[in-house]
Amino acid sequence: MRKSREVPLTLLAAAAVASIGCHDQPRHCVDGQNRLQPDASCQLPAGGFHYVYGGSSGGHYGDAVVGASVSRGGFGGSGEAAGGEGGE
Amino acid sequence: MRRHSVTPRKGWQKSVERVGLTYHTLDDGTPYWDESAYWEFSSAEIDRLEAATAEIQRLALAAGDAILTRNWLGRMQIPENAWAAIRATWHSEPPALYGRLDLAYDGRQIKLLEYNADTPTGLVEAAVAQWYWLEELFPRADQFNSLHEKLVAKWKDLLPYVSQPVYFSHDGADEDAMTIAYLQDTAQQAGLKTEALGMRKIGWDSDTGQFVDLKGKAIETLFKLYPWEWLLKEAFGAHALKTMNAASQKPVAGKVQWIEPVWKMLWSNKALLAILWELNPDHELLLPAYLDGPAKMRNYVRKPLLGREGAGVSIFRNWAWAEGAPAPDPTAQPVSASGGFVYQALASMAQADGRTAVFGSWLVDGEPAGMGLRESEGMITTNTSRFVPHLFR
Repeated sequence: MRKSREVPLTLLAAAAVASIGCHDQPRHCVDGQNRLQPDASCQLPAGGFHYVYGGSSGGHYGDAVVGASVSRGGFGGSGEAAGGEGGE
Repeated sequence: MRRHSVTPRKGWQKSVERVGLTYHTLDDGTPYWDESAYWEFSSAEIDRLEAATAEIQRLALAAGDAILTRNWLGRMQIPENAWAAIRATWHSEPPALYGRLDLAYDGRQIKLLEYNADTPTGLVEAAVAQWYWLEELFPRADQFNSLHEKLVAKWKDLLPYVSQPVYFSHDGADEDAMTIAYLQDTAQQAGLKTEALGMRKIGWDSDTGQFVDLKGKAIETLFKLYPWEWLLKEAFGAHALKTMNAASQKPVAGKVQWIEPVWKMLWSNKALLAILWELNPDHELLLPAYLDGPAKMRNYVRKPLLGREGAGVSIFRNWAWAEGAPAPDPTAQPVSASGGFVYQALASMAQADGRTAVFGSWLVDGEPAGMGLRESEGMITTNTSRFVPHLFR
């Protein structure tokens, strides 16, 4: 036989749609120097903009965001720009 | 081989949803999972497909050595900032899991169409949905499909070589989400601790210089269903190269093992097709393919070096555009997203009932592991090409 003897599923069967974790810290869109930028900049597929979570700033574009050493959003979004998913 | 038309199971949508195939219907309401037909093979035909898969894998390994020895990374338009990491991981052989060859098979000749080595999908359909379909409708028949067993076995082999939890990341919709959930499932069945983490949720801690999860824990092994050519262009791409565990097979504190490893850029790039032909001219499993134009071919396919799901692919017959991406302006130089194309001879494909079939032949740990068929109304397999199950007797 060249078929699997069994294909038990636990996680997959439970994951009608895989749920990816989220968190509730405030986020700020920043440039490569950690300066506050319009949120729309982080929707662009390139340009070095990304989100940082936590921390605070003066609230004006260009202000430094301090107290947030962890940045997120530096990966992802290229599929939207390319019009497809990452799988092939 | 023969294509049979049959009546789909009553409530087939629920049947496949239960085993993870939630994306069974296309946006236009037609089935993506199409069990109104199945393909039947003889055991000898499956033997040939399996042997061809193993032989092409052998050729791909030799091609990888040749690309690095002869410094052909530039020919493949692979970004120069990735070269050192590609070389290092090719030699250190960090964990790698799977891939899929797309083959043309007309009942006589088998030919390689391309190698989806970095982010292959269609896995839930091939490994799971068609297995359950077979068990329900043809339990006495066999299927070229030991994907599940081989994936679980490979994860068990990797136990000493990965850091736990192994993170599983993607950035797509249903198909990518379920593919990553299935791979995570196989890792868990092998005894590994796992966690799901969206690509956009991966954190970079500038204080420690490490990638971190949502709790701030350092990530050391990460399976990504996300193409390297995208990842490296993004804001964290430079961090990925800088912190890559490129020199060791085993986890290293502060470094990240990426699965699939970055050397897969050698095989997922369609320049590989031209290099394989150059290294093995007239090999029975290869189609003529060239990087600098169609040469003397009358009937050929032009593929972007980094295209996915048939995007940007054009077919030319008697040197004239016939199907696919819009006809190019004859006065302009063609430009693809990656900046280059490969020109591959048109293959003779399996055709039945107005459909053309492509054979997706899976490898796990470099060994043939199963097969899934996609059918299209034209010659180009796209993200709307239907998955049709198979069996053999």
